[in-house]
Amino acid sequence: MPEVLKAPLVVEFPFTRSLGPVQSAFLTGLRERVVLGVKTTDGRTLVPPVEYDPVTAEEIRDLVEVAPTGTVTTWAWNHEPRRGQPLAGPFAWVLVRLDGADTALLHALDVPGPDAVHTGMRVRIRWAEERTGAITDIACFEPYDGEPDQPGGHTGEFENPLTGIVAPARLDYTYSPGRAQSDYINALSAQRTVGERCPSCRKVYVPPRGACPTCGVATWEQVEVGPRGTVTTYCIVNIKAAHTANLDIEVPYVYAHIALDGADLALHARIGGIPYDEVRMGLRVEPVWTQGARHPDHYRPTGEPDADYDTYKELL
Amino acid sequence: MSKEPVAVVGIGQTKHVAARRDVSIAGLVREAAGRALQDAELTWADVDAVVIGKAPDFFEGVMMPELYLADALGAVGKPMLRVHTAGSVGGSTALVAAGLVAARVHGTVLTLAFEKQSESNAMWGLSLPIPFQQPLLAGAGGFFAPHVRAYMRRSGAPDTVGSLVAYKDRRNALKNPYAHLHEHDITLEKVQASPMLWDPIRYSETCPSSDGACAMVLTDRAGAARAPRPPAWMLGGAMRSEPTLFAGKDFVSPQAGKDCAADVYRQAGIADPRRDIDAVEMYVPFSWYEPMWLENLGFAEAGEGWKLTESGVTELYGDLPVNMSGGVLSANPIGASGMIRFAEAALQVRGQAGEHQVDGARKVLGHAYGGGSQFFSMWLVGSQPPES
Repeated sequence: MPEVLKAPLVVEFPFTRSLGPVQSAFLTGLRERVVLGVKTTDGRTLVPPVEYDPVTAEEIRDLVEVAPTGTVTTWAWNHEPRRGQPLAGPFAWVLVRLDGADTALLHALDVPGPDAVHTGMRVRIRWAEERTGAITDIACFEPYDGEPDQPGGHTGEFENPLTGIVAPARLDYTYSPGRAQSDYINALSAQRTVGERCPSCRKVYVPPRGACPTCGVATWEQVEVGPRGTVTTYCIVNIKAAHTANLDIEVPYVYAHIALDGADLALHARIGGIPYDEVRMGLRVEPVWTQGARHPDHYRPTGEPDADYDTYKELL
Repeated sequence: MSKEPVAVVGIGQTKHVAARRDVSIAGLVREAAGRALQDAELTWADVDAVVIGKAPDFFEGVMMPELYLADALGAVGKPMLRVHTAGSVGGSTALVAAGLVAARVHGTVLTLAFEKQSESNAMWGLSLPIPFQQPLLAGAGGFFAPHVRAYMRRSGAPDTVGSLVAYKDRRNALKNPYAHLHEHDITLEKVQASPMLWDPIRYSETCPSSDGACAMVLTDRAGAARAPRPPAWMLGGAMRSEPTLFAGKDFVSPQAGKDCAADVYRQAGIADPRRDIDAVEMYVPFSWYEPMWLENLGFAEAGEGWKLTESGVTELYGDLPVNMSGGVLSANPIGASGMIRFAEAALQVRGQAGEHQVDGARKVLGHAYGGGSQFFSMWLVGSQPPES
């Protein structure tokens, strides 16, 4: 059985967040080494604070300061920290109920090993040297055997409050296109376009998916299509997409749907070798390959007469 | 046993804008939900369940935001569920909520949809750099523009029709205080002179990117009897799906859209939609989709939809007003956009649409679609309860 392709796929984006009044005060507070909670309608103090009462759904805005010391309510040992976690070496994930709070905050506890952690142990905040208004302004917690700290009376009013943050997200995948697409991609490297025919409706799919989306049955019969085809429809792209993958394509260019001869649905490709404003529905085209590329760079006119509309209207 | 009739008794939305930097996502949804409750003169305690929708999580990058929105929406101790159907999600969400009332699972359901596009990256969220695939990405406009060209070829529509739709919708938006775009100096010439982005689609024929939320309170007969303002009654509702790409797919007039509309009309006893329906609020993210959907939804024969647009039938004071609110062309908080269509239909039959009210609107269709023209959701609402 031929090899199924695999490759890493890393998805990464710096999302922005508007904080709203409560998260704004909480994160600005961390920047100023102040931990704020919010009072609920029934008098409890929630840390971290939320905007709406979890019991009554009322808007809650009464911010109160709590102490930087507290008690571990439960924990789990992290043997092997991953990228972006609070500490580089092994640490404990802890839920800490800060003195003056009724709920616990999730963070890291810096201790040498799991034997040095227990539920009920006393801890305090180790502040980061540089603070920007983020949960990482608390570098981590550390063991503490002193008296509970007394919270100040801060009410959440700050100079230059933070109103938004950037929250980078990153996902690491191993991507596999599966058997059918691997066959298709491998054939392309020999400059052949190979689709699959549905055993039920007899339609030829390019690229093949290994199953017919209409009949819901597996496909395996390989059918070589093209290389020539017909432009069924297209648009002229006049703006550069804000996508890094497209930065080397000059505008205007023609983005076309091309029904390769023998295929029952169109694939999408760029048209070249003809002024953009001379491209038309029915234009006959063929692929242009570049050395070492996995896909045709673009399609160009073959010089044949245009296809009659009736021959491709069902493929629109 | 017959279904329980479903009434819309509360509607709320935010003023849709490019960026709501003053509120969190929780604050945004809360604003719309609070207004819907206020309209219904109900409190959080009166709501039995919450059904929420938005576009894919990748847009804002908050995975399953409904989990953290439970307290903002008063859902603690109640069922809360999330609906996912791409751009049609606002419509599907309302229909899932309506189904809970119709089935007598719950008496009163709050349904809400939102998007905070300013904190989102739809382009990135929709087009990941998949290994082994050729990067050839032209955005949503690049995806839909070839289908618009196919429509023009098939129907023989003059190429000015798209600009007429945009000019109409932007003028309608001036009468809707919640619309994002309020282009007071809009002219047809300006639309026609705007840059061609994805030929044949011009800049002014595309939708904006908006932050916004929309909420509705749906209830049963007993709830409707207590409502302080006239309810809108659901006369029919349906959803249909099909694959993004398949041999024989008709992108100009997808079969799933036709089937969905036919199901709604069957439920509501609509024999001739053009005659029996007073107005339509449909999902038109690129102006040419107005004539395309007019055909798909049965308001015109295939190839004839553009004639309704061109002759002024779809104007606010025309015989079949379309997109009285200004439509998606004037506000597009993606996940909420479908629900805004449904809500506008309900506002019209309640007589609560303000300056963009259509006189005598008794039966109005709300329509949404999403993905690669593959998910459809629609409802028909009326000023009178369904005949049982």
